[in-house]
Amino acid sequence: MTGYKGFTQEWMDAWKEKIAGSKEYKEIAKDWEGSVSITVNADPSKNVPEPVYMFTDYWHGDVRDFFICDAAKAQEAKFIMTGDYARWKQVAKKELDATKALMQGKLKLRGDLTYIVRNVKTINKVIDLLTEVNTIFPDEG
Amino acid sequence: MNGYAGKFLEVDLTKGTCSSFTIAEARLKKFIGGSSLAAALYLEKYNLHTDPLAPENPLMVMNGPMVGSGFPGTSRFAVTAKSPQTGIWGEAACGGNFGPELKRAGFDGIIITGQSKSPVILSVINGEAKISAAGNLWGKDIYEVTDICKAEDKGIKVLAIGPAGENLVKFAAIGNDKAHFIGRTGLGAVMGSKKLKAILVRGNQPPGKANEEKYKEIFKAAIAEIKDSAFAESLHLMGSDAAMDLGMMTGDVPIKNWTLGEDFELSSKLSGPTMRETYLTKAHACANCPVACKRVCAVKDGPYKTEEGPGPEYETCCTFGTMIMNYDLAAVIKANELCNRYGMDTISAGATIAMAMELYEKGIIDKKKADNLELTWGNMDTVFALLKKIAFREGFGSTLAEGSLKAATQLGAKAMDSAVHVKGLELPMHDPRGFHGMGLAYMMSNRGACHLQHAAMGMEQGMVSWPQLFEMKEDYDGKTSQGKAMLVFNSENYGILDNSLSICHYLLYCLKPETIRDAFNAITGFNFEFKDFLISGARDWTLKRGINNLLGVSAKDDVLPKKILTPLQEGAGAGSIPDMKLLRDEYYAIRGLTANGIVSEEKLLELGLPELRNKLYKK
Ligand code: SF4
Repeated sequence: MTGYKGFTQEWMDAWKEKIAGSKEYKEIAKDWEGSVSITVNADPSKNVPEPVYMFTDYWHGDVRDFFICDAAKAQEAKFIMTGDYARWKQVAKKELDATKALMQGKLKLRGDLTYIVRNVKTINKVIDLLTEVNTIFPDEG
Repeated sequence: MNGYAGKFLEVDLTKGTCSSFTIAEARLKKFIGGSSLAAALYLEKYNLHTDPLAPENPLMVMNGPMVGSGFPGTSRFAVTAKSPQTGIWGEAACGGNFGPELKRAGFDGIIITGQSKSPVILSVINGEAKISAAGNLWGKDIYEVTDICKAEDKGIKVLAIGPAGENLVKFAAIGNDKAHFIGRTGLGAVMGSKKLKAILVRGNQPPGKANEEKYKEIFKAAIAEIKDSAFAESLHLMGSDAAMDLGMMTGDVPIKNWTLGEDFELSSKLSGPTMRETYLTKAHACANCPVACKRVCAVKDGPYKTEEGPGPEYETCCTFGTMIMNYDLAAVIKANELCNRYGMDTISAGATIAMAMELYEKGIIDKKKADNLELTWGNMDTVFALLKKIAFREGFGSTLAEGSLKAATQLGAKAMDSAVHVKGLELPMHDPRGFHGMGLAYMMSNRGACHLQHAAMGMEQGMVSWPQLFEMKEDYDGKTSQGKAMLVFNSENYGILDNSLSICHYLLYCLKPETIRDAFNAITGFNFEFKDFLISGARDWTLKRGINNLLGVSAKDDVLPKKILTPLQEGAGAGSIPDMKLLRDEYYAIRGLTANGIVSEEKLLELGLPELRNKLYKK
């Protein structure tokens, strides 16, 4: 199986492909509208010298933009999620549930929390599909 | 003494007397306050073996030292008595404004014994207590009584019972200013048995703080933590019902009297976001709480038209929603209002009705038995009729007024499997098949199945992380029993403190333990460390367990109901049941209980409870 370097465009493309190919996702996310940006805080000790910004966009079961972006673009998303590299890695490896990480303050969210709560199934599915991507993490590669 | 008012009020309704007493600082330090101090007084001064509805059973309304300080979430107070519903230790806590006002009126607690010949009210105004005739208040519902009492003095704080308390419904609640309820274990019936319709308090003497400067600093930090907390934000936006959507996904939500594992249409129609979009008119807060999780709702038209008033909590959205297959949130709001007015615990009331619906479906009871009511799932007209019949103890309602266990006992052996309770108290709305730790917490809670005398839910469901207190994982697997005994033990020792410190359970989740500890120390001057908190929590649990042991509780009572030991076919909890033996064996060893579930002598001495040791071991 091909491995993708985590938090790169190739890795995002592989993730997007997983989502776009999932019938289950299409059904669960049929009401979802809007973009989510993910900010991974820099952690030079883990080979993440700069923050990584990712912009992802979803619309009624379809996946739209999915790219590495800059800080300004990340701020434009409907939902902005921020966290340390170690936390995102735990989420991507399914060692930490994203909702729990949010409640424990290990990830931060800006955006309408009621929308997230109502659509928590969609969020979980997107993350489930991420865990299917064979990821080479910056501090492991 | 900082934090405390320094006095407790003792009321004898048989004699019509009021007096006060003090408690030495060393004892306060040991038991802190709230229900923990109440349990110590109960053991020391009262006959445990009286009938719960007898005049001798003391009803205690108790504050903790943080109440009235203005610190977020410190509006809580506990009410305790031997429970008429379970026959063992009973307690429930409540927010609102009553606790802080009682403190300002000059008392840390009120202990009421005796029984008045005719209905009375108790007023406690600036250190003076007075018993007076209830007049025409008797017979009125909680909203009416509160409005009448407040018409004379808007600022007065009211605790009142409704018809259910007067009629000794075993799960009768006590209402606090129409918006907050002392729901569990039937303490409204104890108040009713004493012919005490209401307690009114008013005061203007704020308690002192040991270190005002330090307190201000910590207060600021607490506000910042709350602002930063996603948990607090979700409570503010969606109330406790924020738990519905996620709970349906994780297998937490009980459906159709605990027989189904998943129904996303139910959760979507009854969830916190839906309430916000439909019937919510505003958020409401207990005294000094920036979280403001309380819902205020109105149903403007339709069959379930309801005036603006307190909206339902998550538990109520389950008991009058998912548990009885009602998909209409407006009907839940109506049922909530009826329970509030009659003065009944919404968990026990809804769960008992859910049981009755199941018995009807199974043919164990028929229409004739049910006073000609169609007890079909989701039939809200029947639910409203039943709530009235329960409150006034009319016909079949009088059977249900006994609560699930006693009602099932009356309805015959075949009914017993439909009663979902531990020690006679109906399970709260969190399914242990999805979260085994919760099952153990239900088994071991001292008031019967309870979701608030511990923090097992927050810990097991990953809402909190407290590595500074004890070893814990960031992410627990709900569907395993392995290692859960330690989780529950720790969660009790910390979580139970909200009842003695008198801080809201939710604030335990929103604030760092350091902040709570430092605020407690700045208010009281006690200098507690985490280990002192955890020892206090263990002492509280053990004291109440010992009282229950004296009342006959043993290993035979630490069991989950059959429903919970029957796997679900669908949903996140499918196929999984708690391993009751493993959980209990591990827990008993950690908690220092004998094989028969009695607190060991060594444990009692280790925790500084020699009086309890003497009583339990007849020394
Ligand atoms: S969080 Fe809610 S229940 Fe707790 S004190 Fe604040 S308003 Fe009251």
